[in-house]
Amino acid sequence: MAFWPKKKNEASVRVCDPAASPFAVFEDVGLDIGDRRILSGLNLSLKEDRIGVIGLNGSGKSTFVRLLNGLRTPSEGSLTLFGAQAQKAAPELPRHVGFVFQNPDHQAIFPTVEEEIAFGLNQLGAGKDESRKRAAEFLALHGCEALATSPIAELSEGQKQLVCILSVLVMEPALLVLDEPMTSLDALASRKIRDKILSLPQKIVMVSHDLSHFEGFDRILWLEDGRLRMDGSPFEVLRAFETDIDRRSGAKLELAAL
Amino acid sequence: MISIYLQGNSWLHKTPASLKLLAVAVASLVLFMVKSAWVFLPCLAVVIGLYASLGRTGLRQLKLLRGLTFFLGILLLLHWVSGTFWEGVTVILRLIVLVLAANLVSVTTRMDDMLEAVMPLFKPLEWFGVSARRPALGVALVLRFAPYMMQVFSRLREAYQARTGAKNSWKLLPPLAIQCLRMSDNVADALRARGGSEGLSGR
Repeated sequence: MAFWPKKKNEASVRVCDPAASPFAVFEDVGLDIGDRRILSGLNLSLKEDRIGVIGLNGSGKSTFVRLLNGLRTPSEGSLTLFGAQAQKAAPELPRHVGFVFQNPDHQAIFPTVEEEIAFGLNQLGAGKDESRKRAAEFLALHGCEALATSPIAELSEGQKQLVCILSVLVMEPALLVLDEPMTSLDALASRKIRDKILSLPQKIVMVSHDLSHFEGFDRILWLEDGRLRMDGSPFEVLRAFETDIDRRSGAKLELAAL
Repeated sequence: MISIYLQGNSWLHKTPASLKLLAVAVASLVLFMVKSAWVFLPCLAVVIGLYASLGRTGLRQLKLLRGLTFFLGILLLLHWVSGTFWEGVTVILRLIVLVLAANLVSVTTRMDDMLEAVMPLFKPLEWFGVSARRPALGVALVLRFAPYMMQVFSRLREAYQARTGAKNSWKLLPPLAIQCLRMSDNVADALRARGGSEGLSGR
């Protein structure tokens, strides 16, 4: 019963094909936030299993990856995600694209681990009891059954990030996007999380400042001032990036430009 | 005052959330009509007994009263000054019983059960085309993030103390507000990335 008709759900017909390859096609994509230009002139076709995104702070990496799950939409150009135009795909994208944020404290919504995992299943339409049961099974499958009833606030940083990754994986996305997932982790936790990420069957797009995290990746995109500076194999792009950093830091110490 | 869920498998954990919430609601209504201080003593004994039934960790929960002493003391003082000391005692005992009872529900109820129990209360919103899930999730978010905000505040206080030597200042409020707003932006993004408050079942 409603006093006036509910807004029609435009996305009631599925438009995305989770198996589409390439999963993302950028044609002259640009993006402004307010009157600031964040991204411009992006032409890309993404289909590799492991794609890394690098660049200095403010280069547009986070905004770029937010385009992939519909949190941002382009201001110009055309973006096709899983075979559908980005705007049309946006309501459906959380089904196909899991997103892991930099700060686990800002991502987990529920107080305990099992509830956090169950929430994703509940989002997909499973009832409370079923979500809870499947969440417990899922945690056991990933060797985390001991954490099930733990309060998230009391976990270590590494455990928190692992829970955030699992809470997204349980929704079985085709693509996993990670925005600097290892930033708050110590060396051991960050190695474990990286190994976990590499073992996943999903396609991965990951932003990181630590270049060693890209071992085993297929392709690296280097963003600079919102543009694609270089795109290629990890070997060539990471080397060029490091050379550039050496050149800049050696040239003169411009603290104001940090 | 918001306590975190205590892991456990006691009879109180097994009692349905809706029943527990209803019991607290009925108890509040009844106790607000009671005027005699003596009636509250057996009530207090019952509530403490319920905590005891959870074992030692349950009894440890009673510590939350310590945080209330100052507030309750002032309340009693005001009543004493205005010549209604025994009324003050009644008010304080009533508050203690109800706070303990409400806290008992929050430490023995999982958030998802709580959500399911409060959702029917928001059902009338659906007549106006607003999903009942939205305010229910709001309740969950408040409970989840209240302790985190305290953490953020204590971090700010540390940073302030490290540079000024002073422990506290009203000047910390604007940065706290800014940090909380920024956090709420991030949380909103994270929620949207998992299908938003409406869920994905229709998509």
